[in-house]
Amino acid sequence: MDFQTIYNVPHDMPLGVPIAVYFYLTGLSAGSFVVSVISIISGRSDYKPIGRIGAVVAPLTLLIAPVNLLIDLEQPLRFWHLFVYWNPQSPITYGSFLLTIYPINGIIYAWFLFRGDQKLAKALGMVGIPLAIATHGYTGFILALGKGRALWSTALMPTLFIVSAMVSGIGLMIALATLRWRFFSKSSTPVEHEQDRRLILSLAKIMGAVALFDLFLVGNDVLVLFTSKVEELEVAKLILTGAFAPLFVGVEICLGGLLPAFLVFFPRTGRRVRYCFLASILTLIGILAMRIVVVIAGQSTPLH
Amino acid sequence: MVIDLRKCVGCHSCSVACKAENDVPPSVFRSWVKIIEKGKYPNVSRSFLPSLCNNCESPICVRNCPVGASFKREDGIVLVNPHRCIGCKYCIASCPYDVRFINPIRKIVQKCYFCHHLVDAGMQPACVETCIGRARVFGDLNDPNSDVAQLVAKHPVTVLKQEMATQPQVYYIGADLDAMDPMKGRLEAVNSDR
Repeated sequence: MDFQTIYNVPHDMPLGVPIAVYFYLTGLSAGSFVVSVISIISGRSDYKPIGRIGAVVAPLTLLIAPVNLLIDLEQPLRFWHLFVYWNPQSPITYGSFLLTIYPINGIIYAWFLFRGDQKLAKALGMVGIPLAIATHGYTGFILALGKGRALWSTALMPTLFIVSAMVSGIGLMIALATLRWRFFSKSSTPVEHEQDRRLILSLAKIMGAVALFDLFLVGNDVLVLFTSKVEELEVAKLILTGAFAPLFVGVEICLGGLLPAFLVFFPRTGRRVRYCFLASILTLIGILAMRIVVVIAGQSTPLH
Repeated sequence: MVIDLRKCVGCHSCSVACKAENDVPPSVFRSWVKIIEKGKYPNVSRSFLPSLCNNCESPICVRNCPVGASFKREDGIVLVNPHRCIGCKYCIASCPYDVRFINPIRKIVQKCYFCHHLVDAGMQPACVETCIGRARVFGDLNDPNSDVAQLVAKHPVTVLKQEMATQPQVYYIGADLDAMDPMKGRLEAVNSDR
């Protein structure tokens, strides 16, 4: 039968690209922080450069991230309401405290790490890991509790966010470690140089594995969308064959997921730093595409 | 509120009355009438769906508001405290009915409040007062003698997206299934069906 909507009032999409970029930056921060702490706790001296890079990058990205939130507010000068008026049922209330505590912890951790106080750095790192995961996990809950949107309201969302955060965090570590290895290691001995090369290659393997796990989760999500209710089916069509297909299938899945995994696991490319560097850049782009698809496509199906 | 669609003629008086009563700026609406057409000539029909905030019994927007600006009054009306709202737009994103919006002048979230200022003064909401077919009826559902309670008791009624467990408080009599479906009548939805 033919249907035609003659008149209707759609309202503007509430959350835009700044929110997607905010999710991306907290993800980068959480991922690089966890990588940094793990490499410090392992106690191996050859992992040290990664620990240091992560300790600097994690607080830096997290200082930029809330700026996106602030400019997205319609009443930016009222941001302090978040700390005075609480709603224990809202994930944003938890988030505003996590977004304050986590970077402070991260900065103190970096301070002790660079001062050479390993013991205190390790302790603060241990405290920081759950904080980092909570800081990024809560953003997943923001979307998961947005019950009206079919793409968002899945129990998989917080896990998906944390796993993709790990992918992008390790990706950023590889990219920065490669730059350091290539341009800023003039004073290092050949042995150290070789150590750093091996470190980059082994990090790339970990990134490839986590990226494949991330793809597995995305696959689960899409499969269930297809066998679920009308709105879920509609949004699944939108991202797989509709307007968001180039960004979702093209950039997120192929360019940012399958191709990097191939590059790091294929023996001929996996032992070359330049291909691992390329793979890390591709995952960084792919995860950014994932954030944009989730936020924007999630709001692109009509609600009434 | 009960909306008896057998009496609705799709005149948009409710939308206009709402705009005038509540100073709703251009480009946004607190209440509007969705219109769809279906079928092929000569077997065609046009259906109306007056749309407004459902002032849900368990509202997702209130649960998700980080600063408690959205709240439910004791009588069930869901309000936004204009002085507390920070404009994070999370409530708009979580509402399954897309009835909330940012007021482009005041830069806060607004929606239909069942004209609570009139209701508190013992009057009817503007849309109810103005409805030429008397399709809209407003009252206390807990009072068995009220018009709304009697209408809901005597007629088959329906609400929008019952599956969201929000318990919407706008009841429709004689609503068209296709008018209530967000996907029907959209170009992309039509194309994907073929």
